[in-house]
Amino acid sequence: MKTSEITTEQMAEQVLDQVMSAGATGDLIIDEGETLSLKARDGELEEYKVSSSRIFGLRVIKNGHIGTAYSEAVDADALSSLVVQALNNASFVKVEAHENILPNADHLKTDDDLLCPQEQVSIEQKIEMALEIESKLTAKDKVKSVPYNGVQDITSQRHIFSSAGLSALTRSRMCASYAYALVEDGENSAMQGTSQVSRLFSGLNASTVIDKTYEKCIGLLNGKPIPGKHYDVIFDKECQTSVFGVFSMMFSGKAAKDGINPMREKLGSVITDSRLTIYDHPLNADGFGYHLFDAEGSATEKSGLVVNGCLQTLIHNSATASYFDTTTTGHASRGPRSSLGVNLHQVEIAKGSEDLSTLHSGEYLEVSDLTGLHSGANAISGNFSFGASGYLCKDGERIQAVRGITVAGNFYAMLNKISLIGNQQHWNESRSALMPSIRFSDVAISG
Amino acid sequence: MLNSQIAESVIDHALSLGADFAELFVEKNETNVVSTLSDEVQSVESGINFGIGLRLVYGSKVLYGYTNKTDQEELLRITSVLAAKDLRDPVSTAKSFDFNQITDIHPARKILSVDAEIESKVAYLMAADRAARAAGKQISKTRGSCMQREQRVEIFNSDGLYTNDKRNYIRANLTAIASDNGEQATGSWNDGGLLGWEIESAIDPQKTGEEAARQALVNLTAKPCPSGRMPVIIGNGFGGVIFHEACGHLLETTSVAKKASVFHDQMGEMIASSIVSAVDDGTMANEWGSINIDDEGMATQRTQLIKDGQLTNFLVDRIGSQQTGFARTGSGRRESYKFAPASRMRNTFIEPGNDKIDDMIASIDRGIYASHMGGGSVQPGTGEFNFAVTEGYYIENGKIQYPVKSATLISTGPKVLKEISMIGQNFSLACGMCGSISGSVPTTVGQATLKVDDILVGGNA
Repeated sequence: MKTSEITTEQMAEQVLDQVMSAGATGDLIIDEGETLSLKARDGELEEYKVSSSRIFGLRVIKNGHIGTAYSEAVDADALSSLVVQALNNASFVKVEAHENILPNADHLKTDDDLLCPQEQVSIEQKIEMALEIESKLTAKDKVKSVPYNGVQDITSQRHIFSSAGLSALTRSRMCASYAYALVEDGENSAMQGTSQVSRLFSGLNASTVIDKTYEKCIGLLNGKPIPGKHYDVIFDKECQTSVFGVFSMMFSGKAAKDGINPMREKLGSVITDSRLTIYDHPLNADGFGYHLFDAEGSATEKSGLVVNGCLQTLIHNSATASYFDTTTTGHASRGPRSSLGVNLHQVEIAKGSEDLSTLHSGEYLEVSDLTGLHSGANAISGNFSFGASGYLCKDGERIQAVRGITVAGNFYAMLNKISLIGNQQHWNESRSALMPSIRFSDVAISG
Repeated sequence: MLNSQIAESVIDHALSLGADFAELFVEKNETNVVSTLSDEVQSVESGINFGIGLRLVYGSKVLYGYTNKTDQEELLRITSVLAAKDLRDPVSTAKSFDFNQITDIHPARKILSVDAEIESKVAYLMAADRAARAAGKQISKTRGSCMQREQRVEIFNSDGLYTNDKRNYIRANLTAIASDNGEQATGSWNDGGLLGWEIESAIDPQKTGEEAARQALVNLTAKPCPSGRMPVIIGNGFGGVIFHEACGHLLETTSVAKKASVFHDQMGEMIASSIVSAVDDGTMANEWGSINIDDEGMATQRTQLIKDGQLTNFLVDRIGSQQTGFARTGSGRRESYKFAPASRMRNTFIEPGNDKIDDMIASIDRGIYASHMGGGSVQPGTGEFNFAVTEGYYIENGKIQYPVKSATLISTGPKVLKEISMIGQNFSLACGMCGSISGSVPTTVGQATLKVDDILVGGNA
C-alpha cells in the first residue's frame, strides 16, 4: 500500500511499531501546514505564494540512549530509514537516565473552533488588503516606498504520537498583515514597520497597519542622538517583550541542567525588584501562545516564575524535572528536527500600581526600536548592548525623536533597577506576551 | 529526483496558462549534526528535507508554490492554483530541455551519503574540549557541534534549462564558557567549507579549543566599554560581517529594485574611500559561500562590487535583472525549495591593503580595537547597522589598554565605507549564515584588519 493511501495515524503506528520491534520506545511528531503569502509592489501583486508541507520527526530511546531523525519524504522506504537513522544516532549518544517516554496514553485534541476557526473569505479579499496596505502607505507624504509588506494566512497542524499510546492533535490558524515603509525628507530617511495577527482574516484591519507604520516612520524621521548618560528608560511593548525574550534562558531548566543558566543556584532567592511578578500563562486563550499541553502531552498551567521578586521555579520537561527531582511544569518543547527541550508558552507580567501620569513623570527615554537583539546580548552573563531609537520624553510628552544611540547594561542587574510598573497590561503585536510598561532607572545610553 | 517528462508537462502547462516563465527547483537535502556538551555527546540529529518549488512569472509578478510530493497531478494542481488569478492566452512556448552537466569546481571526498563519520567528529570535538579546559581552570563548559549537509538540486525552466548540482557542506564550532566569582563569559571558534569531512585535516582540535578558551578568558577579565564616537579598528576574517551586512545587502537587486537601498541610483559613483575594493566571489575553491551554479542554474562568477571606491556592480538574479536592466551575476540563491530565489551574496570581502596593525593602533588617541566581531543587523532602506564586538580592547594614546565587554558598533553602511582610512595585509575569510528574503544561506565574509575613523561605540562604562 502506498503511503499516500494510508492515514497519518496508520503511518505513525507503522513507525512506532518498528521502533518498539527494535526494543526501543519513542515519540513521533508530524507537522503539516498550508500557507498563503501575498506581497505587493507599485500597486500590483508582486508575490503570490502557496505551499503545503509535511514533516515527520522521530525521537527514540534505547537502553537510555536518545536519537532523533526527521524526514519530509514519507514513502515507506523513507519512514523505515527514519527509524534506522534515529536508532543509529542514539548509539553514539551518552546515556541519559532522566529522559523517558512518559507513560501517557491520553488522546488529546485542541478546540478547532477556538484555535483554527474557519470563515467565508475569498482570495480576492486578501489580495485587496495586500494592495491597499502598499498603495495607501505609498501615497502618504514623504513615503518613498513600502519595500516589505504582505498578507499571510497560515494553517498548521501538529500531531504527537508515542509508543506509550499518546495521541495529541493541535490545529491552529494565524492570519497576519505587515508593512515596513521607507520615508525620506531631504537627507533624512527612516524605515519602520508594524504587523498584526488574528485567527480570522476578518480580524485584520489594513488601516491599523497603515496608520501605525506611518506614525512610526514619521515620528523617527528626523531623530538625532542625545548626549550619552544614564537615563530612565521605558521600552515600548514590542521592545520590552523582545528584551525579556532574549534573556528567557534564565528560566530554562534545560540550561540549568547544562550548567549555563546563571539562575540555577538562585531558586527561592530574590532576584528582582519585589514589585515584579512574572508568569507563564499558556491558558490565556486571547494570545497566540495558548497551549493546553506541551510536546510530551503534559497538561499546562499558569506558573508563577518570579513572584514578588523571588524566583519560584524554572521551567521543566519530564527529563529536566527528573534531573532536579521535581515534576514537569508542562514546558516540554520539541520540533520535528530537534531534541527535547523547554520553552515558555506565553509570558505575562503582573500589572503594577502606577497610572500613566506617574509612570511618565519627569524625563525618560521611550525606546521604540531595538536592533542587534541577539548578537548584542549574552544570556549567560546578562550583558547587552543594543542599537536603539525612540523618543526623549518629559511628563508624557515626546520632546525629541532619538536615533543613532545604544542602550547597554546587564539585564539581570536591570531587573533590580525598576523604578515603576504600570497598572495596565498590553499584548505585543504577535500576541505572545502580556505585560505592563516598566520604567527602568539608570540605564546607560550612548549617543 | 524528478522525471524530466513530468517537469516538461508542468512547465508546458504553466505556459499554456499564460506564464512568461516557469521553473521547477527540486531539492533533496540530507543533514547530520553531532552536538557535545563538554566531554559528552549530547545529541546526534539527522534528517532529510525533500520538496519541489514551482515559480511562475507573469510580467513583474512572481507566483511561487512548493510541495513535498513528486506526482504529476499535484504539480499540475499547484500550477493551476498559482495561475488562477492571472490566466491569459499563451504568450510563449517552452524550449526543449538541453541537459547541462556542470563542472564541479568544489569537489568533496568524505561526503555524508557515504559515511557520516560520527566517531571521527566526536573524537575531534572531545579533543577540542580537552584543549579548551586545559587552557585555564576557569573554563567550566564547552559546547561543540559538527554539521554536515549534502544538498542535491535539479533545476528545470521554460528556457530549456535542465541541470543539477550536488553541494557538500561541513561546519564545526566550539564555544567555551569561562566562570569566575559568579561572572560568566564566552569565547568561540568555528570553521567550515563547501567540502566533506576531509576538512578534519585542516582544523586542529588543539587550536580550536585553545582559541575558544583564550577568547572566553579574555572576556572574563573585560571591563565595561567606554562609549561615544571614536575610531575603531575592526579585525580580519569575521570583521567583514560589517561590510556584508551594511553594504553587501544594499548591493543586492532584491533591495536595489525596490529602491530600498541607498545605493540604488549610484552605479559608477564613488561610494567608498578610494582604498576600498570589494568583491563577491562564488568561485573560490571549497569556500563555505561558494557554489557551482546558483539556484536559478547560472554558473557562478567573481563579481567586482567596488573598485577603488567606485561602485561597479550589483548582485543580480533573474528577476532583479528584469527589474533593473543589469546583467545577471549568478547570484540567485535560496535556503531551500520553500523559497523563491533572490539575489544573495556568496563569498563577500574587502580586498587587502598594505597597512600594518601596529600603525593603526599607534594612530589612535582614544578608540577601540574590535579584534573579533559577532553578529548584527542592518536596516536596508537607510543602511543603519548595529554589530556586537565579541572581543575588543580599549586603545588610548596609541596603545592597547584593557579588554572591554558589551561593546556595540553603530553607524550606516554608506558612512563607514567612506570612513575606512587604513586596510591591513592579514586577509582572511570566515563563514556564517546569512538570513534574508529567500531564507538562510551559507555565506563567507572577509577582510584584512582595517581602521574606520568614526563609529558610535555603545558601551556601559
